[in-house]
Amino acid sequence: MDLGLRGKSVLITGATAGIGRRVADLFAEEGANVAICSRSPESVNRAVKEMKVIADGKIVGAPCNIKNKEEYESWIEAMAAELGGVDIFIPNVSAGGGADSEKNWWKNFEIDVLGTVRGVEAVLPHMEKRGGGAITMISTTAAVETFMVPQAYNAMKAALITYAKQLSQEHGSKGVRVNSVAPGPIYFDGGAWDMIKISNEKFYERTEKTHALGRLGTPEEVARCIVFLSSPAASWVTGVNFVVDGGYTKRVQF
Amino acid sequence: MKVRRKQTIKRTDARRGTAGTPVEPSPKPNWPSNPIPKERYTSHDYMKREWEGMWTKVWLLGCRDDDIPNPGDHIVTEIGRESILLARQRDGSVRAFYNVCQHRGNLLVHGAHEPKEGAGDFRCRYHNWRYGLDGRFADIPDLETFPQGAPPCGGLIRLPCDRWGSFVWFSMNPDVEPLRDYLGVIPEHLDPYQFDRMALTEWKTVEWDCNWKASVDAFNESYHVQGIHPQLLYYLDDLDIQIDCLGKHSRYLIAFGVLSPRVISPSEIPPPIKSMMRDAGMDPASYEGSVYGAREAIQKYKRENGAEQGRDYSALNDDQLTDDYHYLIFPNITMNVHADDLMMFRQRPHPTDPNKMFFDYWIFKLKDREFDAAAYERPRHRQYRHGETSLGLVINQDAYNLPFVQQGMNSAGYSGLWIGDQELRIRHFHQTLESYLASAQEPAKKKVRT
Repeated sequence: MDLGLRGKSVLITGATAGIGRRVADLFAEEGANVAICSRSPESVNRAVKEMKVIADGKIVGAPCNIKNKEEYESWIEAMAAELGGVDIFIPNVSAGGGADSEKNWWKNFEIDVLGTVRGVEAVLPHMEKRGGGAITMISTTAAVETFMVPQAYNAMKAALITYAKQLSQEHGSKGVRVNSVAPGPIYFDGGAWDMIKISNEKFYERTEKTHALGRLGTPEEVARCIVFLSSPAASWVTGVNFVVDGGYTKRVQF
Repeated sequence: MKVRRKQTIKRTDARRGTAGTPVEPSPKPNWPSNPIPKERYTSHDYMKREWEGMWTKVWLLGCRDDDIPNPGDHIVTEIGRESILLARQRDGSVRAFYNVCQHRGNLLVHGAHEPKEGAGDFRCRYHNWRYGLDGRFADIPDLETFPQGAPPCGGLIRLPCDRWGSFVWFSMNPDVEPLRDYLGVIPEHLDPYQFDRMALTEWKTVEWDCNWKASVDAFNESYHVQGIHPQLLYYLDDLDIQIDCLGKHSRYLIAFGVLSPRVISPSEIPPPIKSMMRDAGMDPASYEGSVYGAREAIQKYKRENGAEQGRDYSALNDDQLTDDYHYLIFPNITMNVHADDLMMFRQRPHPTDPNKMFFDYWIFKLKDREFDAAAYERPRHRQYRHGETSLGLVINQDAYNLPFVQQGMNSAGYSGLWIGDQELRIRHFHQTLESYLASAQEPAKKKVRT
């Protein structure tokens, strides 16, 4: 099956580590042109350099703090200009979890929610120009089932699922598909579950057992789903929330 | 994933003012690396030598000064088979006595570790012999029926007793050097913390199934963090530590609020470092920096906001605002000293069994603006068997493991402690202990020669 990504232009925010980085790599391996960002110029330069080795298409990147609206919009315009348009957009940056104070709510709103909304609004005209495109938002299983503690991350990531669904209805006629992916616990070196595995091995092992497939997922396994949903191969899929969790959540999704 | 990153802790290189805690690293001793015989932890004979050559020669911590604030207040502490009575005198000083009635040997005051208020004198409940606050006989009922008169000792047997650092110290050695000489540089190092500004918040004793030294050892090295306390790898640097041998005593300085070089940075600030920020009054969600800047950010915040919070850090250097300055006061006091609290442990030998000990656990917290003197209730001492109470995750992890260490040490398949550089303080501790035992044997040797 050909995903049809060769020559497509992809913008991913925050793609220098973890799941985001794996998504960027996969797009690059599939022959897409890829633009990435991160707050740190060193991280961006390093990731771009590494991705170029495996890429057929064009790989670009620039530092950007997506919290800053103007900076974020200029990044999108600059990347769109460099790649000659936008076909696929993955707003991946997150403020992460935390139940420290009201500040967590502001951060998840600014980074996870507005970071998606502002990006979507900036890329839509580019997609319309192309006659279509795909947006894949990153949610979490913590949005669909109770997880850890009541926190902004879970609720704000839930907001993205609703937003994606409504966008898909609004922009379907222009050929733009909008979906979300909800990963369960994902292990990678230096990730939150790496810390949990080292700090609290018993809890980690209990969590593994909770998965129908008996282990935590990898960034690769989530990235493949994100890349598929965003690719022309998923041309008949829009408005879905795709749970990728190895059977971690227990609800029936009718 | 466990790794080994290169990391050097930035440390302050000057003491704060002339009266601040010295920070200079001590020269690294070059000692032989031979194993430490395990019999020191398991044999009754060594236990006996330890009692005669060390416990009865050194200064020992008796109680907190504010256990017995007023004249007549008193408390009993126990060490090995001895029961010691500490009593506040009318002039504010404290006297220490063997807690035993000179008549038939009854313990004079029953119940250890319970501060008792304002007695004018002490009465033995067996035959009503009375002793003054100063320990002298006050009344012997029917004295005329003792043709030999009162015991010539004149009262309770008094022990050297002195105070330092908000604590009362005693010695069972009548010829012991002055407390200040015994403590050496310790007051210079620890006085800047002003322990008297701290309030007791927890006070427990737990009987553990291990030799008292096995417990001391567990607090004198950071090598076991990666084994027993993996969660602390996201809280402290267990590798770049400063170890200083200070005469009989020792310390190490461990940076808190940092990642261990054994782990890689998670994308978020680890929960224990967030908790440290909260304790300082910071909002972790508002902290925009990386984990590598957290320690300095906390130091800076505390330096700038301490006074307003009623926490006077003026005598402490920046490192002391975050780090663990851990001291061993020979032989049995291990203390995690922090700007805002003191976690103090006393390891006491069991009266008869080298495979058992008593672990005394005290937590003191700096009284800040939020401290409500009227609402403050001083905790009472509680005694437990192993496993009956929680001492917090970290100490629970140590406590869980120690009986297994003791059982293993008793095995025919084990001969002694194989000590590495990270465990230098254990070697130093044993050298001090051995030098006490050696000097106790010297007079005996001389006798043989003559």
